[in-house]
Formats: sequence, C-alpha cells, structure tokens
Amino acid sequence: MRALRRFRSQWQNWLGLLLVLSFVLVAAAAPLLSPEDPDNPGPVKVVGRATDYRPHPPSPEAPLGTLPGQVSVYHSLVWGTRSAFRFGLSVAGLTALVGVLIGVTSAYFGSRFNDIVMRITDAFLSFPVIAGVVFIQQLANILLYDAGVRVFVPNPNRPGLVDIPQNLPLSLVLLQQIDPVMIAFILLSWMPYARILNTVTQRLKRTEFIQAARALGAGHARIIFRHLMPNAITPAVVLAARDVGGMVLLQATFTFVGMGGDSLWGTLLADGRGWIISPGGILTYWWVFLPATLALVLFGIGWNLIGDGLNEVLNPRTR
Amino acid sequence: MSPVLRRLLTRILAVPITLLVITAVLYAFVMLTPAETRATLYMPRNLSPRVTEEQIQKLLDQAIERYHLNDPYPVQYAYWISNLVQGNWGYSATLQEDVLSAILRRTPATAELTIYSILVFIPLGLVGGVIAAARQNRLADHGFRFTAFIATSLPPFILALVLISIFYVNLRWFAPERVSTAMGFVVSSDEFRQYTGLLTIDGLLNRRPDVSLDALRHLAMPVFTLAIFHWATLGRVTRAIMIEEFKKEYTVAARARGIPEHKITWRHTLRNAISPALTSSLLSAAALLTGVFVVEIIFSFNGVSMVALRSMQFVPDAPAAMGFAIYSVLIVLILMGLLDLIQAILNPHAQETD
Repeated sequence: MRALRRFRSQWQNWLGLLLVLSFVLVAAAAPLLSPEDPDNPGPVKVVGRATDYRPHPPSPEAPLGTLPGQVSVYHSLVWGTRSAFRFGLSVAGLTALVGVLIGVTSAYFGSRFNDIVMRITDAFLSFPVIAGVVFIQQLANILLYDAGVRVFVPNPNRPGLVDIPQNLPLSLVLLQQIDPVMIAFILLSWMPYARILNTVTQRLKRTEFIQAARALGAGHARIIFRHLMPNAITPAVVLAARDVGGMVLLQATFTFVGMGGDSLWGTLLADGRGWIISPGGILTYWWVFLPATLALVLFGIGWNLIGDGLNEVLNPRTR
Repeated sequence: MSPVLRRLLTRILAVPITLLVITAVLYAFVMLTPAETRATLYMPRNLSPRVTEEQIQKLLDQAIERYHLNDPYPVQYAYWISNLVQGNWGYSATLQEDVLSAILRRTPATAELTIYSILVFIPLGLVGGVIAAARQNRLADHGFRFTAFIATSLPPFILALVLISIFYVNLRWFAPERVSTAMGFVVSSDEFRQYTGLLTIDGLLNRRPDVSLDALRHLAMPVFTLAIFHWATLGRVTRAIMIEEFKKEYTVAARARGIPEHKITWRHTLRNAISPALTSSLLSAAALLTGVFVVEIIFSFNGVSMVALRSMQFVPDAPAAMGFAIYSVLIVLILMGLLDLIQAILNPHAQETD
C-alpha cells in the first residue's frame, strides 16, 4: 500500500500510465476507429489508386493523409497499436521469463554450475542484436529455401509473392509464421534479467525462510518457484516494463533499415522515407512523418516512465 | 605487474572462451540445416557461370566428404572452427566475394565511425553527468535530465531522418555516405596511400587536408546520432553514481577540511565514479555496435553492415551471415577491451577493489 501511494505521488507516473492507457484504448477500439476494408481486410488499407505515388494530404477517407501507393496513414497507425502491443508484450514477457528462469535456477544450484552459466551469459552479452537478426533471418530463409519455398518480390517490408510447395512439414509451416526478428530479440535480450536475478537470488538463498523451507523438506522446484521467484522478481518487472517500449522501437528500427520485422509504424516511415527527406523541410509532407514518429516516441516514453516509476517504488536501494 | 597490464591480460584471455561459446552456439543452429547447405560454407570461389548442376553436386559431395559434414556435431565443429581460424570464412554467392575480404575491406569505415563516437560520448557523458550531479535540482540538472530523457526516447533512425532533412537536404552542411564523389576519386587514385584506412587521418598523412575535412563533413551526422544516445545513458549513470558518492564520508571529510567544492567534485569524487559509470557502457558495447550498423545503413555509409544487408535477399547465403555474426562478436570484444583500457587508465586502482 505504501508502494502504491509512492507510485501515485509522482506526476511522471501518471503521465506514463495515461500514455499507455490511451494506447490500450486505441488498440481495443481499432475496428471502431478505423473499420477494415471489407474487400481487403488487414492493417493496411489502400484508399484510391495504388499506382498513385504522391502522398495526399488528409481527406475524409484518410484522416491523416496517405503514403505513396495511397496507403491510409490513419488506418495503419490505429492498427499498428495492436501489433505494437502484441509484439512488445510477448517479446518482453518471453525475454523476462527466459532470463528469470536461467538467473534464478543457476543461482539456486550455485557454485560451479553458476559460474559456467554466468560465463555463458557474459558471452551472450557480447553478441549484438543486429548480428542475431541477420543470422536467424538467414537461417529461416535457408530452411525454407531447402524445403522448396521461393519468395519473389524480395522486399523485406512487404510480404512478397510466396511459392509454397504442397506437403510442407508442420515445423516449417510454423517457422513461416514466426517472425525471425522476434526470436533474435528474445535470444539476445535475456541476459540483464539473468544477471540481476542471479545476484538477488544468491543473496536471498542464504536467508532464513529459504533455509526453513529446505529443512521442511521442500523440493528444488518448490523452493525455486514458490519461494525464490516471487521474492526476487521485482527487478525483472522494472526491466520488462522498459523493454516493452524498447523492443517496439527496436523492431521499428529494423523494419526501417530493411531487415525484416513487420512493425507497422516502422513500415509507415520506411515507405514514406523519400517524401520525409524532401526539399522544403521535414514538415512539407508532415502526415508522412509526424503520426508514426509520435506514436513510436510516445509509446516508448510511456513504458519508460512506468518503468522508472516502478523502479523507484520497488527498488529498495533508492528508497 | 601493473594493474593496468594485468587487467588487460585477463580481458585478452577471456576472448577465446567467449568466442568458443558463441561459435559453438552458432554452429549448433547451423546443424539444423541439411548437410548440403552446410557444405556451402566451404564452397570454392569463382565458380564459372557455365558450371552444371552435376558439377556443383560433386563439389558439395566433396565438401561433405572432406569436412566430415555427416559426422556428429563436435567433429564438424572442430573442422569448421579450424578452417575459420585459418582465415577461410567461405565465399558469399550474393556478394560475389570472399566473406573475410568483403568484411575487412569495409572495416576502416566502421572503425572510423565507432572511434569518433566513443571519443565524443565518453568525455561529454562524464562531464554532463558530473555537472548535473554537482548542481542537483538546479537549472543545469533539470536541463541535463530533460535532454537526456529526450535523447534516450528518440529512436536513432528518426533522429537520423530529421538530421538528413535539415542538414543535408535543406542546409547542405553535412552529407550522408562516406566521401563526396569528387573526393572519392582522390581517395581511390594511386597517389593517395592508405596508411590506416581512416580517411580523416589518411588525408592528413597524404597532405590532403581537404580529404580529411570532407570525411569529417560526412561523419558529422552519423557520429552525432550515435553519440547522443550513449552520451545520455552514460551521463545518467554518472549522475546517479556521483550523487551517491557525494553522500559518502570521504567527500564530507574533504569538505570539512575546506577543500574547494570544484576540486572535490573533479579530483576526488569523479575518480571513484568513473569506474562504475564506464562499466555500464562496457556492458552495452554490443548495443553500441548494433547502433553503429543501423546508422551506417541509414546514412548509406559503406561499412561492414552492407555485407549483412546485401546478403539478405531470400537466397541462402550462410557464409555471409556466419561471417557477419562472428565478426560482430570479435568487434564487441575489442570494444570492451578498449573501454576497459580507458577505464584502467583513468582509474588504475579500481581493479584491486573489484
């Protein structure tokens, strides 16, 4: 309760909550705010002729103007909120899960085993995300190529024409559905969780209530999941809150530079790139640049503020 | 042995272990692919375009035979890693080039970008954090915190877009890419000798300061984009640590002895704050390199990231992806060593307490 009062006393926390909640609202009300095109449902709506490569300013059909190819900015922006939440929450959640499991388990079994696990964690820390994205992307491509899947129109930002052979094994069908960027992010972001949780658990392990649980005959799994994890989890919550925003921004970055990932907001900027960098200033075609930028930045700020607020409340050192 | 040397040695000894772990994990993933794909890691370069399917099949079979690609994982891994150490990184079909030479040719560009960013963000980050901490809750502190918050919230690619639009398209002060076309001819001519590969330095060594200036003009935007983010993170950490240090007894004692405040801040407190502050940058060396590569792509700076970007075309190119991954890890390890060295030089005594 005291924590809650502390959290409420800071205006930054309110701002963070307000930002995130408004994104939640937009995501929930997406079909009302911008109904899908019944002929061609999906997060990308074309209004007008698709061969028209000049972005048009706001009009009744496209309240925030259009991109080259007459893609409605407003529609992608609204539906992008859903995909941002889906991506951010699932990646941050899974990353935290992996990191916490590795950190706590290895600290619990301790000594030699822990040294080895932490060495591997450190090794992973020296692996840049971009190399992981390239590697996993390439690996998925190779596996699918070997199975006979061919992709034409090789544009990483838009689904190309895909030629899928009959009788594709189920594992490869699944692989096609999975986003390589997502896997790379999870595989290469769990280390901070593992490191922090490791330190916390090592300290916790020596406390009396864990000793008591062990003396009462509790098994390893019970001690780890019932006693250690709930008590060590708070630093992971803070990290995960910040990661939700961070992962969405990173995904948009990779989409923008053409390395896959299907961030809708990033695609908006990537597609409009030629018009954003135009003589006369970045705001000549403001609807190509501003909406997606604001959505990304505010999404990141919202989660960062919540993370900072939680950190202040939950982290005993700053109390 | 001096503490600086000892520290450097432990760092260097840790490199092969990290590399072994990483390459083992990478190769474990590669094991998911069929043997014939693994054989492409060893394909010879310069296959004639008239080569027939049967001849390719024969070459693949030979590679499978020669490098034991049907044997269990440890055997294959050993063959592959010993090949790698000998500099055989494979031939990339999409790049039409040996992977290692394609990477090495572009390394100076990446190195130049990275080095200048580090030279900008470390001093400025430390100074910014110290000033903000010394004037806690006053105007300078609020200004710093606000700027740092904006800098960390703005994704680099959006900042890059804004910079290109303002300073390239409209003001024409700076430019993307590595050199302008005219200077490009100078650089590739026979008279221009490549000493270091870094254009800013080579220009001076060749007595062509105009080349150096041109290179700087092209470096300005990417370096700013990269440095501002890391400046903000380092500055925030420095500020937090300095505030903790100000509360400690030795600072209070120094103050009681009547030592001027600025001397306490810069001589006594900062010295203790440098190490933990730089450790945070050390941990994010991988993030720094990711940033470098992203910025290179956005500013069409012809660095190592081009190898990765060009190889991603829905056509299998295992050697390029493997080469890029291993190279990135190597560079991160070198970066960590470099940051560690800076840390050790700035505060040689930190090691003993670690």
